[in-house]
Amino acid sequence: MAHEKVNGCVILKDLYYNVDNNTWVRIIDDSTVAVGMTDVAQNLAGPLLHAKTKKVGTGRKLGKPIATVESGKYVGPVKSPVTGEITKINDALSSDAGLINKSPYNNGWIVEMKTDDLSADLATMVSGDDAVAAYKEKIERDNIQACEQIEGADTYD
Amino acid sequence: MEDQDHEGKKILVIQTHGVATPTRTYSPLFYAMAAAAMEMEVMVWFTMDGTNQLKKGEAEKVQLVKDSNVNLKTMLEMAMDSEVELRVCQQSLELWDMQPEDLIDGVDILGATSIIDLSLSYDHVMYF
Repeated sequence: MAHEKVNGCVILKDLYYNVDNNTWVRIIDDSTVAVGMTDVAQNLAGPLLHAKTKKVGTGRKLGKPIATVESGKYVGPVKSPVTGEITKINDALSSDAGLINKSPYNNGWIVEMKTDDLSADLATMVSGDDAVAAYKEKIERDNIQACEQIEGADTYD
Repeated sequence: MEDQDHEGKKILVIQTHGVATPTRTYSPLFYAMAAAAMEMEVMVWFTMDGTNQLKKGEAEKVQLVKDSNVNLKTMLEMAMDSEVELRVCQQSLELWDMQPEDLIDGVDILGATSIIDLSLSYDHVMYF
């Protein structure tokens, strides 16, 4: 899988990113996507203790929370990068929010959503080399500390 | 426990503890941020001893975890970044010989009658 590390933070080039909200989108089909927190986001939040997702069937506009996450030092929303309806939630997170830390792009996915207009949503995001460049700028601008290794990080070396 | 969605509810947090009791300062702000993350409208009202943490230069001195990059000032800033509104009691400023210009940026002053109106108009009040 094409990827790049920026200050130790893994960026997968085949995903789409809302850099401001630190979320990623993986396209499942024409209108359905999986959504999660980026490696940068989980690193900033620290070891997560709880993740509370919205219910299946909840309609969300872009920027509205699909979940709230909390660590010992942080609590905040995970903001939806798309407009649509939550169709599936990652039940494993209710007993192990740390999955988001260990595997932000795979086992730590947060919800799946049926989007209203996927192409319009994707137009608000970046992917590939543009995503890497955007994260380089963000990490430098916000002085983000180096990411700690995530599960399977050697896969990304 | 029934898992209700409380988006849009209004929470008023009243903080009466200040820099003399550091372990009582973080949690009300953390709860306020949690409520804001859950899409609630949140205000923290500082009164009595709670007022003194809003004096410029004071909150930076309160740090619960040694060598952490988080102190009470950063907690207050994170709360404001989360769109939590911070308000202080006008009369309490006098308790600490504080003038409006002594307050950190982003804090508005309200009079005592406002707390009564607010507590009646909000969905829930948390008192610390």
